[in-house]
Amino acid sequence: MLNGILRKILGKGGSREVAKKRLKFALVYDKLEVSNDILSDLQADVIEVISRYFEIDKSGLKLDIQRMEDKTALVVNTPILSAKRKVIAA
Amino acid sequence: MEGKTIVITSGKGGVGKTTATASLGAALALEGKRVAVVDMDIGLRNLDVVMGLENRIVFNVVDAAKGKCKLKQAAIKDRRVENLFLIPASQSDNKDALSPELMKQFAKELRREFDFTLMDCPAGIERGFENAVAAADEAIVICTPEVSSVRDADRVIGLLYARSITPKLVVNRIVPAMVEKGDMLSHEDVVDVLSIELIGLVEMDEQVVVSTNTGIPSVLQKGSVAGEAFRRIAMRINGQPELPIAVPQGQKRFWKKVGRKLGFGK
Repeated sequence: MLNGILRKILGKGGSREVAKKRLKFALVYDKLEVSNDILSDLQADVIEVISRYFEIDKSGLKLDIQRMEDKTALVVNTPILSAKRKVIAA
Repeated sequence: MEGKTIVITSGKGGVGKTTATASLGAALALEGKRVAVVDMDIGLRNLDVVMGLENRIVFNVVDAAKGKCKLKQAAIKDRRVENLFLIPASQSDNKDALSPELMKQFAKELRREFDFTLMDCPAGIERGFENAVAAADEAIVICTPEVSSVRDADRVIGLLYARSITPKLVVNRIVPAMVEKGDMLSHEDVVDVLSIELIGLVEMDEQVVVSTNTGIPSVLQKGSVAGEAFRRIAMRINGQPELPIAVPQGQKRFWKKVGRKLGFGK
């Protein structure tokens, strides 16, 4: 009980809160783990879509999943050679 | 009427799958059901010693599933609890001795013969897991209030959903005093993270060690809090799903009670 009072006064959490936080992070991370197969399929699709609008250096395209403290981002980086002129359908 | 096959699984090893299987099997048999407990940990059998039946093994689950012996020959009758049978694992084969297809066939036979078949799943998510799950209608996931165990449970729950099985959760080895001190995940924390239906809470109980030492299921031991918890889980499995789930309280001392009343608990 003394422990309880002290904790209330000092506002200090036990390792339980730490455990819960770490667990939630671990599970989010686990679910964001993308297999290389999926990543290379995605890369092929991304190249196809971008190529409709830009002339790009296909070998220079980089696709990456970046994890930050509280967010995860998909980063696509590609050198653009030129913009494609829109072909107006006859 | 056809029986049910239930897999007891966890992902992580050492969280109490085998103890849970033995306890729930014995408890369901005490409820008057015809029960088989099957050790699916091929090559590392243990359910037999936990149940105290290690001296009576002749045939095993691989023999029975492959039709090398009759189901009745492989099922060892427990002499203390009526209608309780153990189908032991093979110690010499490896996990490739069985296949999911073979287990699906075998499960049909088990459903005809028993009201409940509990499969003690090996740790891990490889072939042994596949085999055990292939034969199952339902699943119970066991986890302890630890980060590693809950994480693995989450993974296993995902794999079960992928096979159209909605598992139920048992949180095992809860130490109420530590939860109260804020040094252990509470069952609410675990359920919150895993978001599946709870079917029981089991307190950490030294009697379980005594029970495995002697090979007497904890549900047969008077005064075992874990045994009592497993008996209540068995009742929930056996058609009383609404039976309330008691939260382990541990030994309450006077000042703790006062503290709880004043709102200093937890």
